[in-house]
Amino acid sequence: MRLEKIKQALSSLAVTDEIEVVKTIPAPPAAEGEEQAKPTEVKEKVPQLMLFTPDYAKKGFHLDVKVASADVVQAAQLLIDQEFFLEAITGVDWIKEGQIEVVYDFNHWQTLCRVVIRTRTDRSQPEVPTISAIYSGANWHERETHDFFGVNFTGHPDLSPLLLPEDADYHPLLKDFTA
Amino acid sequence: METEKLQSPLVHLAPLDQVLAIGRANSLWPMTFGLACCAIEMMAAGASRFDLARFGAEVFRPSPRQCDVMIVAGTISKKMMPAVKTLYDQMPEPKWVIAMGNCAISGGPFSFPGQYAIVEGADKFLPVDIYIPGCPPRPEALIEGILELEEKVTGSRRWPRVACG
Amino acid sequence: MSLDVIDKSLETFVLNLGPQHPATHGVLRVKLTMDGEYIVHAEPVLGYIHRMHEKMGENRTWAQFMPNTGRLDYLAALSYNHGYALAAERAEGIEVPERAEYIRCITVELNRIASHLLWFGAFVLDLGGFTPLLYAFDDREQILDLLESVTGARLTFCYFRFGGVYNDIDDNFITGSREFIKRLRSRMPMYHDLVSKNIILIKRLKDIGPISQEMCRRYGATGPVLRGSGVNFDVRKHEPYSVYPEFDFDIPVYTEGDSMARYMVRMDEMEQSMRIIEQGLAKLPEGPVMAAKAPKILKPAKGDYYAAVEAARGSFGIRLVSDGTNTPYRLKLRSPTFSNLSLFSEACRGMILPDALALMGTLDLVIPEIDR
Repeated sequence: MRLEKIKQALSSLAVTDEIEVVKTIPAPPAAEGEEQAKPTEVKEKVPQLMLFTPDYAKKGFHLDVKVASADVVQAAQLLIDQEFFLEAITGVDWIKEGQIEVVYDFNHWQTLCRVVIRTRTDRSQPEVPTISAIYSGANWHERETHDFFGVNFTGHPDLSPLLLPEDADYHPLLKDFTA
Repeated sequence: METEKLQSPLVHLAPLDQVLAIGRANSLWPMTFGLACCAIEMMAAGASRFDLARFGAEVFRPSPRQCDVMIVAGTISKKMMPAVKTLYDQMPEPKWVIAMGNCAISGGPFSFPGQYAIVEGADKFLPVDIYIPGCPPRPEALIEGILELEEKVTGSRRWPRVACG
Repeated sequence: MSLDVIDKSLETFVLNLGPQHPATHGVLRVKLTMDGEYIVHAEPVLGYIHRMHEKMGENRTWAQFMPNTGRLDYLAALSYNHGYALAAERAEGIEVPERAEYIRCITVELNRIASHLLWFGAFVLDLGGFTPLLYAFDDREQILDLLESVTGARLTFCYFRFGGVYNDIDDNFITGSREFIKRLRSRMPMYHDLVSKNIILIKRLKDIGPISQEMCRRYGATGPVLRGSGVNFDVRKHEPYSVYPEFDFDIPVYTEGDSMARYMVRMDEMEQSMRIIEQGLAKLPEGPVMAAKAPKILKPAKGDYYAAVEAARGSFGIRLVSDGTNTPYRLKLRSPTFSNLSLFSEACRGMILPDALALMGTLDLVIPEIDR
């Protein structure tokens, strides 16, 4: 029930990405005396709505939604209206794709329903709006993500280093960081 | 050059030094300076079973002005290092430092190529007298370290060393 | 939190608490803006024991990271072993034999009692009472003897492996645990009579430091902090893992939301843990303690995985991102005390300093777990 409700609410915010899939086109049947040709493989991009309900036993969460960076605040508002609480915010550095992904984990007290919100931002200038006005705990989580990845959370009241020294200007969990 | 015969002094201070040394060794006051996991084994050494009070060292003072020995128990991070140095400087002489645990000796499990946040060992910036290895060292190891320190201060050991078979 | 909230007409001064302080349980620094004895604004400053666990997660193989989990929250290290083992086993699809699951639950609950005993002693020490610490440590040493005979360590355990545990328990452990439970059950009334019903403790904790449910939701507080505010949320019942569904135990919940409620939640949790251990020892099946087909080198499929366990301080979560190689691509540790401490700034506004320290004691902080 809760999963269906939140899935419905978030489906309007989910983005549609182009995913590369490999299509196999079967070869035409061979004429008599000729060899059967092999099927050809074609790569093509298909649009895919980035809203998944994975198998909880395999993955550990129930709903996985990718939203645009600007829509993160609205997603957080929808979640707090449905009484979810914020478990964690973190980042993942996808250096090969030139993007940093910010991942938000939410859970619910009454019914088990883990919701994961993802957003991607450009690696050279990562910017995501802050949700600390809605979830006060995001204040510290976003400061930590800024420490480790350099993501600028616009609108955050105080993005100073939390776990690193006050004068730190490096971001250690980036893949190209050298001490 | 002629050698001058010195008068023997009126007051012999060396025996007084020895008495003071025995007094200092038997009443070492450690500073409550637990940084990480080793702090819990330090607390256990001061608690009922292992009982540092037998050696005079159960008075853990929070203020550095009242301490003789700083037991650095735990990892020293680069952010914490100025505070450790300040606390060491605030201790009055004579003072000693015990590095307890692998992190205080050489960075422990947290020194790896590419590390950016810890100081690899207390002896990088403090004069360490005793090293106690372990991760964390047992409370008995801390007691052995205190006994070694007492030997360093007085010149003789309180109890003979037990040979391990 | 910015300083704009301060009423400029007050004459305030800044007091620095820590990082070396007997009551902060680790290296936590709190910048207090005080108006006489009252706290106007409190800002915790972290990072004094940042030990780069998440960076190490990316540089080590899956198995090499297990010792790190013992050093996060060293007082309840087995829960953290459990969380990591659960996440990796979920990612790789390893089945754990039943005997190993029972051993895991029994040892985790023993560790939980040890952690709560130490919390109890240190908390009453903060309030000024020195003696309960010595009694609590005595009981705790008994637990550590039991766990040492099985795991080889006293504090920073690294006992679980992917697919089970590496050492089986013997009869000495089983009889020793039963003896210990009998002993602790006979001592709990003494703790309650001398400490919980003590008029000084009651006056220092009752109605002090209220934390509302709505504050807990905004900050993501879990564990005894949340259960002391009236919310029945415990990962062992809410999101069952391992063999917890086989056990019959209650979740203590107190609705007052003050420091006394959080104190009583932890005292009652010790009794519930003892119930779980008794049932576990009674139902312990025979069998192997390690999965027959556990791979030596883990290489989970690409993607991310999440696992959560109920540690002594709250819901500990691990988010693993795997890229198919034998080292994790990203390993995020969701620390319960991090979220619990983040509400300290808002909760202690307007309190006097000793009450704020009592509140901080009931949050049960272990700073290396916050700083990771």
